[in-house]
Amino acid sequence: MTAQAKIHDLNGASREGASIVTGHTVGMEFPGPVTALHEATFGIKKGEFISLIGPSGCGKSTLLRIVAGLLKPTSGRVNVLGSPMVGPRPEIGMMFQKATLLDWKSVLDNVLLPNTLAGSVTKADRERAVDLLHLVGLRGFEVAFPRQLSGGMQQRVALARLLNSGAELLLLDEPFGALDEFTRERLNLELMRIQSQIGATIMFVTHNIQEAVFLADRVFVMTPRPGRIAAEVEVALPRPRTIEQMKSREFTDTAFNIRDTLGGFI
Amino acid sequence: MTEPSISDVPMEKPKGMPSWVQHLIVFAVFIAIWEASVQFQWVSALILPSPFDVVVAWWDLAIVRKLIWDDFFVTLTEVLIGFGFGAAFGTVIAVFSAMQPTFRRLVSPYMVALQVTPRIAVAPIIVAWLGFGMEPKIAIAAIICFFPIFINTLTGLMQVDEDRMEMFASLRASRWQVFRHLQLPGAMPVIMAGYKTGISLALIGAIVGEFVSASVGIGVLIQRFSFQLLLPQAFACLIMLTVMGLTLYGAASLVDRHVVFWKHDALLAKISRRLRTRYADLLSRDRSVQAVKEPV
Ligand SMILES: Nc1ncnc2c1ncn2[C@@H]1O[C@H](COP(=O)(O)OP(=O)(O)O)[C@@H](O)[C@H]1O
Ligand SMILES: [Mg+2]
Repeated sequence: MTAQAKIHDLNGASREGASIVTGHTVGMEFPGPVTALHEATFGIKKGEFISLIGPSGCGKSTLLRIVAGLLKPTSGRVNVLGSPMVGPRPEIGMMFQKATLLDWKSVLDNVLLPNTLAGSVTKADRERAVDLLHLVGLRGFEVAFPRQLSGGMQQRVALARLLNSGAELLLLDEPFGALDEFTRERLNLELMRIQSQIGATIMFVTHNIQEAVFLADRVFVMTPRPGRIAAEVEVALPRPRTIEQMKSREFTDTAFNIRDTLGGFI
Repeated sequence: MTEPSISDVPMEKPKGMPSWVQHLIVFAVFIAIWEASVQFQWVSALILPSPFDVVVAWWDLAIVRKLIWDDFFVTLTEVLIGFGFGAAFGTVIAVFSAMQPTFRRLVSPYMVALQVTPRIAVAPIIVAWLGFGMEPKIAIAAIICFFPIFINTLTGLMQVDEDRMEMFASLRASRWQVFRHLQLPGAMPVIMAGYKTGISLALIGAIVGEFVSASVGIGVLIQRFSFQLLLPQAFACLIMLTVMGLTLYGAASLVDRHVVFWKHDALLAKISRRLRTRYADLLSRDRSVQAVKEPV
């Protein structure tokens, strides 16, 4: 079974257009006390691409970790696919700024980590992992090791591993933030292409306004002290997105709108 | 944590002559100066035997009379068994400490005590307990090499990257899986460094034990020859210990290299080739979802 088919199976249950993630007055207070997140209320539809933007410390990672089930909010509640979050779930996957690969495993075995942890790696799993490596542009690097790869290629492996986990909600915390401008742009384009192929829902953290607008259907604009979602901005650009669209009126208007919302915080 | 070793010091690439020729020249000059200082009586031959005398003494002891081999293997056995015990206890207690915060808190004062007490000082007590055979030497070797192995294993296991930890958590890995697939392999470089330090310390431990009391062992021979002012023979035994130390350290380094293979590009290339053969069928399949561009 190909990666594509598997993820469609998983999606079969939820209807197009229904909210896959809902947050109701979600708050997170760390001892200090630091209000990392204050009364965040939001909904995300299946297949949507959401960018989270805001200056550092405004609670982007905190919100993502709550949605991932890695962090229990101190107030409010989060529902994913109709059931409340109590812990990490197989339908939800996360990717970080660092590739977090295991240096002692080959690229293929890194992609197969979700299977390894699930208890067994079958021939079909391996074939699927190879397909995913092709999907993220790593044909020919299956038996290489992480330290032999560039930063961009390592993130591609991390993306393939994420896709292999079978997650349909992908939480990406500044995934390409440590890469150079060109590599980042290219990976962003490929991420959108892959998303359109597999129909995943994505929450994507960035602190680059251009990037946020270019990728997203909607941008959650977050402001610090206390961290909160200050605005949700629709991006009305057609898909597939192209670099040329960045010159359009719609694009620049949206970007400036977000800039205004962030106002004194940048 | 890990004690630095001379093999970790960066060395420049030799220019001109091959490296081994340079080493040979330096060695020859060193031996020549040593020989000359005895020949011209800059130093008394009673204090410093000439290299020639040392070689003759070694030849006599090792080849002609075959006197030192029994002692050599006794010492080697003490070192290996002592290291085995030290490594086993050090590793197991460190693993427990890493996994169990309460256990860690409770044992840590004893570990600090062990760190600040000169561990060699236990030698006479151990001999008093265990007598004059190989057992006390094994015990002393084990006690001396335990600590770096324990501390390296513990610090190695504790220093896991937060992001990788979260990644495992998001994949709902069990504690055992985190240990097996993340902590342990991640700690392996530091653990192996502890073993490398430990094997050298085990040798020190065995010799100290022999100094305190023994009837066989290279340490015994060195002590006996020195008391009798047979310094060429004492030096010959010392060289045997150098050879033993080098062999043990070399073996540990070799194991290290293969265990921590991912730090060595040459080994990675070899493993990649092997994997490519093993997965030939898998890799030649062409069911990619979409034609892909060059990776960045
Ligand atoms: N585990 C934690 N303990 C205490 N404070 C935290 C913790 N995680 C985050 N914070 C604080 O919460 C705020 C938001 O952090 P974060 O969500 O990482 O912001 P962002 O990802 O937007 O940069 C920051 O002030 C940060 O210092
Ligand atoms: Mg962050």
